[in-house]
This record gives sequence, C-alpha cells and structure tokens, in this order.
Amino acid sequence: MDDLGTLDLTGQAEAVRSGQVSPAELVEAAIARAERVQPVLRPFATTRFDRAREEAAFATASRMDAPFPGVPFALKDLACPVAGEPSHEGMRALAEAGYHATVTAHIARRFAQAGLIVIGRTTTPELGIMPVTEPALHGPSRNPWDPSRTPGGSSGGSGVAVAAGVVAAAHASDGGGSIRIPASCCGLVGLKPSRGRVSVGPASGELTRPLSVPFVLARTVRDVAALLDVAAGPEIGDPVQAPPPRRPYRQEVGAEPEQLRIGLMTRRPGGAGTVHPDCVAAAEVAARHLEALGHVVEVTHPAALDEPARMATFLGLWASYASFAVDSWGRELGRELGPGDTEPLTWALVEIGRTVTAPKLLEALCDMERWSRRVQQWWADGWDLLLTPTLGEPPLRIGELDPPADNPLGGYQRAASFVPFTPPFNQTGQPAISLPLHRNAEGLPIGVQLVAAYGREDLLLQVAAQLEQTVGWPTLAPAP
Amino acid sequence: MTDLAFRDATEQAEMVRSGQASATELVEAAIARIESLNPQLNAVIHERYDRARDEAASALPDGPFRGVPTLFKDLMCALEGEPYHFGTGFLKRHGFRAPYTDNLARRFLDAGFVCLGRTNAPELGLLPVTEPSAYGPTHTPWDPTRTAGGSSGGSAAAVAAGLVPVAHGNDGGGSIRIPASCCGLVGLKPSRGRSSLGPMTGQLTDLLVVEMMLTRSVRDAAACLEVIWRPFPGDPVIAPFPERPYPAEVGADPGRLRVGVLTRNPLGTGEVHPDCVAAATGTAALLGELGHRVEPDAWPKALENPDLVGVFSAIWTAGAAATLDAFGAAVGEPVTAADTEPLTWALAEAGRQVSAVQLIGAVGTAQRFSREVAAWWEDFDLLVTPTLAEPPLPLGALEPPADNPMLGFARAAQFVPFTPPFNVTGQPAISLPLHWSDGGLPIGVQLVAAYGREDLLLRVAAQLEEARPWSQRVPPLHA
Repeated sequence: MDDLGTLDLTGQAEAVRSGQVSPAELVEAAIARAERVQPVLRPFATTRFDRAREEAAFATASRMDAPFPGVPFALKDLACPVAGEPSHEGMRALAEAGYHATVTAHIARRFAQAGLIVIGRTTTPELGIMPVTEPALHGPSRNPWDPSRTPGGSSGGSGVAVAAGVVAAAHASDGGGSIRIPASCCGLVGLKPSRGRVSVGPASGELTRPLSVPFVLARTVRDVAALLDVAAGPEIGDPVQAPPPRRPYRQEVGAEPEQLRIGLMTRRPGGAGTVHPDCVAAAEVAARHLEALGHVVEVTHPAALDEPARMATFLGLWASYASFAVDSWGRELGRELGPGDTEPLTWALVEIGRTVTAPKLLEALCDMERWSRRVQQWWADGWDLLLTPTLGEPPLRIGELDPPADNPLGGYQRAASFVPFTPPFNQTGQPAISLPLHRNAEGLPIGVQLVAAYGREDLLLQVAAQLEQTVGWPTLAPAP
Repeated sequence: MTDLAFRDATEQAEMVRSGQASATELVEAAIARIESLNPQLNAVIHERYDRARDEAASALPDGPFRGVPTLFKDLMCALEGEPYHFGTGFLKRHGFRAPYTDNLARRFLDAGFVCLGRTNAPELGLLPVTEPSAYGPTHTPWDPTRTAGGSSGGSAAAVAAGLVPVAHGNDGGGSIRIPASCCGLVGLKPSRGRSSLGPMTGQLTDLLVVEMMLTRSVRDAAACLEVIWRPFPGDPVIAPFPERPYPAEVGADPGRLRVGVLTRNPLGTGEVHPDCVAAATGTAALLGELGHRVEPDAWPKALENPDLVGVFSAIWTAGAAATLDAFGAAVGEPVTAADTEPLTWALAEAGRQVSAVQLIGAVGTAQRFSREVAAWWEDFDLLVTPTLAEPPLPLGALEPPADNPMLGFARAAQFVPFTPPFNVTGQPAISLPLHWSDGGLPIGVQLVAAYGREDLLLRVAAQLEEARPWSQRVPPLHA
C-alpha cells in the first residue's frame, strides 16, 4: 500500500488543497491499487480509468473549493446511473447488451460536484438482492481480510474497494442491509441514512422504493459525516424528504453526546434461531465501551421486533420490487426478459412477485407502516439507541449462499440467519450505522449496529465518532 | 345565541377564553342549529350530543380551540368505540365501531375541540358528491337541489350553513377542495405527510390522502393546520416543518408572487364551464391588481399527461379493493357485491385485476410526473385554476346507469379535472370562495403552491380574503 492509499477521503482532500499532491497523482495511485487488487478480490464491475485520468487533469484550482477536489471514488453498479456510461446492476442481460444509462442519478451528480472522481463501478449481486456479492456475471468478490470469505453484499464491491484501500470511500446503497452488511464483513463504517435523507431520483422515488437508501461506505466517521453533507437534502419533486439537520453533519464529529439510554439486543428479531457467539460478543463488547463512556445500557429492545412473520411480508414486497425491476429493464432493452436472462433466484422472485396483486401489495405496505409505528414508539418512549450485532454470523465463506439446484430460493432463505438485524430498519426507515468495533479469533471484522430514531443521523455520528476516538479500529485490510 | 352561527372558530375560542361564552353554551347552540337544519341538509349522520355535553362540561384540554364545537367526517378521524362506517352500508349493518382513536382525532381533541357528531360521506369517499345509499344525499345550503360536493360533503354543508365553524375533511382526489367549492368555503389540502394517518395507515400506502378541517375563514385554516402538523412517532412521510406558526402567515406580506393560470382541463376529460373559467381568470386579475406578476398563459405543461388518469385509477381502484378486504377482515365476514354500491364494487373489482407490479409501475409514473410538475415551481410561486370544471352538480348527476356503474366515475372525471393531479404530486392546494355564478352558486378557485409551502398559500389566501371578502355571504339555508 502506498501512503496515499492510507489517507481517508478528508485526508486526501487536505493533501490536494495544501498542494502536497495533485488530483492526477491521487487518481493514478488509486488506479494502480485497483489494478493490483482487482485480479484477487474483484471489487470492480467496470472501470473508467482513462476518463478518470482526463477528469483529474482538468481538476484544476478552480475546483479547490469543492469538499473533495479531485479525490478518487467509486460508484456501486446499482441504481446509480451516469448518463452515457455502463450500468449493469449485476445483470448479464444488461452487460451483454452493452447497456449505457440515459439519466444521471442525483447522488452521482452530487458526488461529481463535490469534486470526487469516479475510477470505476463496483460489483453487486444481481439487482442487489443478496447479502453476498457473487453475481454469475462477475463471479465472487472477495473479502480483503480473508479472500475465502464474502465481503458481504449487496454493496460488496464497494466494501472491498474501500477496505483494500483502492479508494477511501465509495457509493453504496441499502435496501435490507446492503451498506451495513459489507461494512460489518469488511471492517468499515456503514451508515444507512433515514428514508428520504438522500434522493433516489430522478429515476426513482421512495414511494416505489421505500426500503432503499443510497449513501457510502468509508473507513472514518469524519468521511461519513462530510459525505452526508454532500449527499443529504431533497431534490426537486422528491416524494419523501427527511427532516433537515440542525447543523452540518461534520459538526457532529467531536460533539459530545449527552448521556444516552441504549437498549442492547443480541437475540434474533422474531425470536427463532440463534446468533453466532462472535456476533453476540461484538455487541456486548460495544455495550461495555458505551458504558465506559458514561452511557446507560440495558438489555431491552422494541417488543414489536419480536413479532413473527416480518420476513414473509418482506418477501412479498421484495419479490414485487424485483419483478418490477426486471420488467423495467426489459422495457429499457426493448424485449421481455425471460428465465434465461436472470439468475435462478432473481427469476424465482420475479415469479413470486407476479402472483402478488395490487391490493395485497397495499396490505403488505400498510402492515409494514403499522408495525413500523409500533417499533418506533420505543424510541419515542425515551430510548436513544438500539445496539445489536450487525449480522447473525461472521462473514460467510464464498459460495455458502449458492442455492441448491432444486431450490433457487434456498440461498435467500439461508440468508435470513446471516442478516436478521438489518432489514427491520429498512422497513421503519430509521437511520442505522455499522461500526467495526470487534474482531473474532480468526481476525475477521464483526460489526455492531446502532439504530437511532427517524431523522437522527446526527446522534449516530456523535456516538460513532466518540467510539472511534476512544476505541478505534484498524482502518485498512492487509494488502492482497 | 343564533348570532354565534357565523362566528369563526378562532372567534368562538376567544369567547371561551375571555369568558364571554362557556363551552357548554357554544355546544348547546350548535346542537340546536344542527337539530333545526340537518333535516334539510343531511350533513350529520351520527350524533354524539350527550358525550359532547359531558366533554364541554368537563375540564377540556387547554388548546387553541377549547370549547369550540366541530364535526368529524365518517371516514378517518376515528373515535374509539364510536360508529365509523366510511359511508358503507356494510359497516353500518354490522354496527361497526372504531377500535381506536386515531392520531388526527387525538390532535383535534387535544386542541380543545368538542365533536358533536359525524358527517356524511360517499361510500369509501370514492366520489366527488355525497350521496351514499347508506345515508342518503347531502345538499349544499346554497341550493338544496344540488350537491354539497364530496367526499367531505357532510362537513362542508355543516360549516357553510353555520352549524359548526369548522369540520373535518380529507382529500385523496379533491375531497376537501371540491365541497369547499360547492359550499363556498375555504378548503386547504395540505402537503403529503403534513399530518399523521396513524395508527392504522400511512402515506406510503395512502399516498394520495391528507387530512384537514374545512373552514370559513383563512385564519381558521391556518390555526387548524397548526394543530395537526406535528408528526407522530413512526409516520413514514413527514412534510418539511414550517418556519413559524401558520397563524403568523395570516396578514403577512406574501411579497410579489410569480403566478401562472390554467383554465383548460389538463386531463382532457371534458370542457370547463364558463363560470369556472371566469372564477380563475377573475382571481388572476385580482392577484395582478394586488401587485403579483401574473402570466395568464403559464402553467406546468407536464400536467397534460395522458397517463395520469390510468395512474390515478390503478392507485384508486387497488385502494378500494384493499379497503373492502380490510373491512371484511375487521368484522370477520367478507364484503360481497350485495354489500356495496354498484360503482364501489366495480372499482374494487377493477382494483383486484391490478397486479402489484402494475401498481408499482403506476406509482413510478406518478413520481416522474411529480418531478416534472414540481420543476415548474422553480420559476413560479403559484398556479391558479378553477377548483372544479362545473358549478355544483344537481343531485343524482353522477348516478350511473345500472348496466355500467363505471360511467359514474367517468362522469366524475369531467367534474374534477383540476384537483387530483395535486394529490398525485403531494403539493398543497387551497380552494377559496372567490366567485359566484349569476344564480348565486359558489364557484371555487384553486391555488397550488410548491410542496411544503402551505405558508405561502395561507399568506396569499389571507390577502385575497381581505381584498374580496366572502364572510358576508350567507347561503339560503342557514342557521
């Protein structure tokens, strides 16, 4: 690893502004790291090195007032199109058609306006459906801490690129845990913002994508805060707009939180099934750190999280959205997609989704809204944070979620014990952050999740910075 | 105390605060007015006089409307243990009672309002007139042969006739603005997410519907909005918070606004009646006289979207089907064709044919439409349109032929082309009683602001109210 790669995004921006390094040098070094890492860990779906070099050459003094002038970055290849550039969402059908996007996502535009230079698009499982990143299109992406393990998903490529030091931060998105899961597996900071905090427009909106929020994976809390200042805030016509923060998120880093009331939950939501002892230990270790900081931690959680059958509701919604996505891509490609165009799991979800009627979808959504009210009442009743393991298991071995040939849903069903803690907060729309506070005996990162009330990213950043300052974590994986 | 009838809620609250009148006196007077006029209007379908009397005599919450009588629509604004029928014969037959007090009713009760009963609504609130089989038609007090509009027709008739100063309504396609237009009232549809739909639903499911009070004065609209805007835990969509209390907008200078005008039917579902065109152009001229920059040919071209009727139908019909399913589950007996009006059943049947994927597609189209429409407000502050395409319809005008119940819905689309687009976009819109036909019928004017900008609507509405006051206009049927 070269020295530039050890800097976080904020550090690289300072180095550019002070004249220690040029954007061209930063980008060239990032490309060199990408080329070294890609054959082993496969973080990238597509790269745009030459365009990044051109953009770096033009990142002149006029852009020095941008927050991240000429600093290299990566976009996840999912729901973050850039007009005229490839956008494949882990789908062979799109890659083989040589599909290029026709619109630019608002968040991609904001990253560019912030000075960030995109060197490539990172891997995702097909349509971002799975919590591991092993699309048939690219083969598996691998965890920098142990290449026999998954970096998690669906933002696995971004997790790899950041943990391996190719870029200091990368775009990611979370519809069931897809920021927090790779953050846990790769030892990163993964904040899923509140619903409506970051625009999913112009192509989409929260009324059709109520579960999914775009944001980033990064190594430091200050980078997450600074990037949230870039990404947060409504675009014209956004249907859901989270309440604006009282001050810039950067100012939360270092701001002392009040004494917080924190509930600790280490058993699986819904009751059934076990949580791996390493993951239980991670949350308990974090609880002790938080107590040492003066916060109050009690073993308690919202009772509504124990209501069964949440995953069944989630499946109906998830399958309907998958079905809609495949139909939409078919329209975009000018032909109807069939079972041969997707992975077996995706197609199985498409078929489930097609059996759902509109009134049933509304019933599921309404059920989700009612349940979300019951869950969030716990925060209204005076609790500040819920502390859980991010995952139910340490990073899975590559291929562990491969479905048996006779049951394409097998891997998806198996995933439930890996990711029991993250999907509930996509349904409630609350902000949640995974912090790399623990390692198991094998040295694998084990994340812990903190969940705040809707709109309270400020509180998550305060306490995350406090833990980073007092406990800390290794910032980079060993070089491959 | 008949002179109370046309005092607005703000004034009645002040009378209680200053000791000029007691809550009991206000409530008794309102009950007397309802008793005398309701037989002609059919606005109130459930009375709760004894409870109201008890509440008025007890220590009411010390809110801004302490002791002021009101009415709640028979659709949302649920009160635990009390009749709650959504205009359906089905729930009426089952004697259904609400199992909870909802968040909205909680806000109104906490504000000190005393609810005297529930008002008439069409079945499931599906139509822009109020003529449910279960409870019969509501008449506008301006002409008993005509509709009070719908779906909040009972509340509108009650307020217009002076039974109560304000009454609850909700708006999923125009159901506050339409009866406001037909009854000569102020009808503010707030932004999506302005008030809670909890605990039973939320704005991801019911994305078109918002709640408010129908009022006679702009200051009452502002004060009522102030009562309901704060979110409850778990509300999935929360409109941007106001910068200052809404009542402070009344009398505040709106500045020089950039105003566009739309008088032709953007959905292409029919012609616009000259009275309605005149209402909008007259208001545009008045805004010009008040110093605003009016561009008579400027309006969001994106409103002219041929897909919008289909989008609205998919959302509306799927919602009707889901609602009937929920009612069936609530009473433990499925709703059948015989339990509903023919149009309701036809809509629900249509909704059952819509797939989840189609619904997501329709909502996706709605979102794109909303972004395109919202972009116009980057250059303008206000759009002026007629609220309706026709004066208040004669009673029975939407009654469909027995062999084609859906014709009633098609006929409704001719009547209300201007209001539904802003349920889709979630923008705030207000109907003001600024015009009257030669025959003395109220013709409302709709003003539409950008998402979250009720503050601006209230400022300009107050300015128009002062420039062309309507408070002296009293309908033939009045208390």
